Amino acid sequence: MSEIEQYLAPENLASALEVMAAGAVTLVAGGTDLTPQINEGRRSYAPTLINIRHIEGLSGISAPDGHIRIGCLTTVSEIRQSDLLTTAAPILCEAANHFASEQIRNAATIGGNICNASPAGDMIIPLLVLGARVELASWKDGGVVVRQVALKDFFTGPGRTVRRDDELLTAVIFARPAENFIGYFRKSGPRPALEISTVSLGIGGNLTDGRFSDVRVAFGAVGPTPMRGKNTEAALEGKILTPDVIQAAVVAARKDVTPIDDIRATEWYRNHLVAVFTEELLQNVCQN
Amino acid sequence: MSEQVAFQHIEKSSLIGQRIKKPDAPAKAIGKTRYINDMVLPQMLYGKILHAGRPHAEIIDIDISAASSLPGVHLVITAKDIPDLKLGFVKDNAPLKDKVRCERDEVAAVAAESEAIAAEAIKLIRVTYKDLPGVFSAEDGLKDGAPVIQERFPDNKSLKFEFHHGDLAGAEAGSDIVLDDVFNVHYVTHCCMGTSCAIADFDHNGKLTIYSQTQYPYNYKMDLAPALGIDPGDIRVIQPPTGGSFGAKLDVYPFEPVAAILAQKTGRPVKILFDRQEEFINSPTRQPARIHLRSGCTKDGILTFRAADVLMDNGAYTSWGPTVPVIMMRTTSGHYRVPVVDFTGQAVYSNNAYAGSFRGYGNVQMTYATAQHMDMLAEKLDMDPIEFRLKNAQKSGETTPQKSFLRECALAECLTTAADAADYVAKLKKYTDERSEEGRYKRGIGLASSIHNAGGAKIHKSDGCGTILKMDDYARVTVITGASEIGQGIDAVIGQIVSEELGVPPEHVTLVNNDSDLGPWDVGVHASRTTFIAGNGARRAAIKAKEQILAAASKQANVSAEELDLRGGYVVQDKDGAVVTRLDKMLRQMHFQPEPDVVMVSDYYEPNSEPEGRDHISDHSAAYAHAVHIAEVVVDTFTGEVKLEKITMAQDVGRVINRMGLEAQMEGGVAFGIGFALSEEMLFEQGRLKNPNFRDYKVPTAPEMPEIEMHFIESDCAEGPYGAKGIAELPTIVIAPAIANAVYNATGIRFFNPPMTPEKVARAIWEKTQQ
Repeated sequence: MSEIEQYLAPENLASALEVMAAGAVTLVAGGTDLTPQINEGRRSYAPTLINIRHIEGLSGISAPDGHIRIGCLTTVSEIRQSDLLTTAAPILCEAANHFASEQIRNAATIGGNICNASPAGDMIIPLLVLGARVELASWKDGGVVVRQVALKDFFTGPGRTVRRDDELLTAVIFARPAENFIGYFRKSGPRPALEISTVSLGIGGNLTDGRFSDVRVAFGAVGPTPMRGKNTEAALEGKILTPDVIQAAVVAARKDVTPIDDIRATEWYRNHLVAVFTEELLQNVCQN
Repeated sequence: MSEQVAFQHIEKSSLIGQRIKKPDAPAKAIGKTRYINDMVLPQMLYGKILHAGRPHAEIIDIDISAASSLPGVHLVITAKDIPDLKLGFVKDNAPLKDKVRCERDEVAAVAAESEAIAAEAIKLIRVTYKDLPGVFSAEDGLKDGAPVIQERFPDNKSLKFEFHHGDLAGAEAGSDIVLDDVFNVHYVTHCCMGTSCAIADFDHNGKLTIYSQTQYPYNYKMDLAPALGIDPGDIRVIQPPTGGSFGAKLDVYPFEPVAAILAQKTGRPVKILFDRQEEFINSPTRQPARIHLRSGCTKDGILTFRAADVLMDNGAYTSWGPTVPVIMMRTTSGHYRVPVVDFTGQAVYSNNAYAGSFRGYGNVQMTYATAQHMDMLAEKLDMDPIEFRLKNAQKSGETTPQKSFLRECALAECLTTAADAADYVAKLKKYTDERSEEGRYKRGIGLASSIHNAGGAKIHKSDGCGTILKMDDYARVTVITGASEIGQGIDAVIGQIVSEELGVPPEHVTLVNNDSDLGPWDVGVHASRTTFIAGNGARRAAIKAKEQILAAASKQANVSAEELDLRGGYVVQDKDGAVVTRLDKMLRQMHFQPEPDVVMVSDYYEPNSEPEGRDHISDHSAAYAHAVHIAEVVVDTFTGEVKLEKITMAQDVGRVINRMGLEAQMEGGVAFGIGFALSEEMLFEQGRLKNPNFRDYKVPTAPEMPEIEMHFIESDCAEGPYGAKGIAELPTIVIAPAIANAVYNATGIRFFNPPMTPEKVARAIWEKTQQ
């Protein structure tokens, strides 16, 4: 374990960003990924540890002009219990329901889950289905500058993203889903709690007279990053979900994913579950 | 006088079978209990061990210079610094190693001012290894030219156990059906909430006090002393509250002598406490086994023989693990009436982890095979599955080929009670019929039974327990027992038994059982023996105390002692409960009379059983019990997920003592069994554990616990306290094969290689559809 030389707990964004601009830092919010990674020796602390939990304005869920904005410090429990999200984007609450355990949900933040960039990150899948963007803030020329990146373009590899070291992910934003939006999330694992997904899957789109449009499909734990399923989306876009269309989507889904063998599952099982879950979620959409 | 009027008559009542609260539960629930893991002694140093992290290697050089010069480090030791003293069942293990034989091997150790300094010092030790080719299965260990793991055992063969009874060839020839299958039972581990810990402290006379989680404090001294080169008499074992054992602490493991050596050499107390990853890698496992089982029966459904050839991966060293055939053969020969038995169990050294004892001790493994074979035979016979089992079920008074005497045998009652309660036969047929129908989710029901020792297990010459009981002038009772409390609940049971005999409230009984300098000898918490053995001892001691008190009261009241009783804190007339005097007053009168006397009695209870013996033909337990579990599952045939919905159990408990403790033991046993059956597995690759954490080693969580319907059969054991039998291991033993039989009922697929993980089940179902 490398030595932490400085611990900071800033209360406003500007002072946090100023420190981040000056040199290497480790950020901690919920700490539910950071702590085990440090303990297992997979990560080490930078000389400066910044606790971002006290920064004002980074927590909470709001609905500004047709959008939903979730501050980076919002916990998974807050998402799970949010009336706004239960109505506007229940797929997020569904994923939160299956996230780790009560204690971890109470501490883990949405910003942390995204920046940890695990291929199996449970909250990322529904956000991809919702077409979310992330807001990245940094310090430049004496002021805060902000840029937005589409979440689908955010991940570059396991644990890697386009976020620069001097940037803080401040919020995740998505357009409020249409009234006829339907989305489902599914993850696998032998336990109902405390489970890392061996496969997770989200499907969402607008359903009008049986026709599925603006379809987004996202897969977790079947590639180096959480990813959108372009082939599956194309197989479904604008279609009525007949058994043939669903079977075509299943075939497309198998093409979208590139799973590997690891300790949690083999490539065979992940491919198998992708097919099972794709069909299952599309049946759910049909039955809606 | 008014008080006496109020309690003029006290009716006879009994606590036996009631729900008694565990005395330490509130302190544990609110976090007040100070576990050994929390303990800090004045001037204490923190010990840490460097583990090899590779399976097989020569140690060319160890450079400790950087570690030794780190500020705050008091001592760094390697095998060179300590005498060449051995430990373990066949003395093949050492506190620190001069050669690496498995991943966990202890190569060096440090003592430092803090845990952080100790951890840093470990990183600074530079070891030069020369890796050697390894053996990673029992089969490979037997091959010609296999690397030799232990020089004393050039063919890699470790322990071997055999039992043969009857004419096998004749029995096979006389069988209409013969099954021949290989079951591979996997590695699991105990996952105690409290990780392994020891604190060693020498006094200036060279006497060691060791604070330990051990579950067998008296023989522990005998096993620890040779590794230290001291006399067992110079060891005092103190057992602070411990976070679970389940068999994991039934032996001395290297970290314990290492802590003692560090303490001896530094002159300071030394604590070694594992973190969770260390606990996974460096504590014992359940013994894995390849069980080649053949079973036969006639077309009328009469069992003809069982032949079991068991091959065990011994790992690099020998602890209790490879001795499990002692129980496996009792299951082979005694789980139903088996006229001809052929059993061989051979352990083979490898560079894998090594096993200790673990709740169910061999029977979990063997019953996984025998109970599935019973299910398979019933199906092949096309016979009512309960009728088939009842035909072969032993009855009271029968003796097994190994001479286990089944004085009170309630197997038939367990079978019919559970089957009726779960509507087993009808559901079994219904789900079999539904198997071929369309549908993603399939229901299944499965039954399994087994037998286990329920009156101790005489693996040593004595299986007894000492008890000392004294009463003070206020009628408070102190019981000093040899029996350890490791969370299993003997504290509640002894309080209950003593209060039953002496007519005092259970909360007026104090138990002292955590210090080997105080307690009389006991063989340890294992073999489902403590309520039976220590319970009998406590009862006998209490009866002696009662006789002493009633004799004194008889003199005073001029009534014969037989006509008196102790109830509700009073000496009363037995026939109508009329109060004679207050108990505390009686005790003071005994104390302060011209010929003073206080109540101080002792007892050594030795169960009525025979030593196991080399030929394994002996009545090695004072009682035997059966259990039947019926599992009801829903299998998602797409994902392979097995959801266990309900367990209906019937177990011969002899007599219920503490109903609450009994139910908790059943629930705990089921939780262990579910993990073993469905999700827990230590994944080794070339001798290295790949999942040393709770993320990837999947113990069941609360939502996975099924509904459990419990039926306790009270067979009234003649030898047990109030008729009770030992109960704690059977629920762990029978659940996994019950689930396997249920999964078969749902899917038509047999799982010979647990655990039945979703992937394994999904793959098997998919492969079946491809045929």
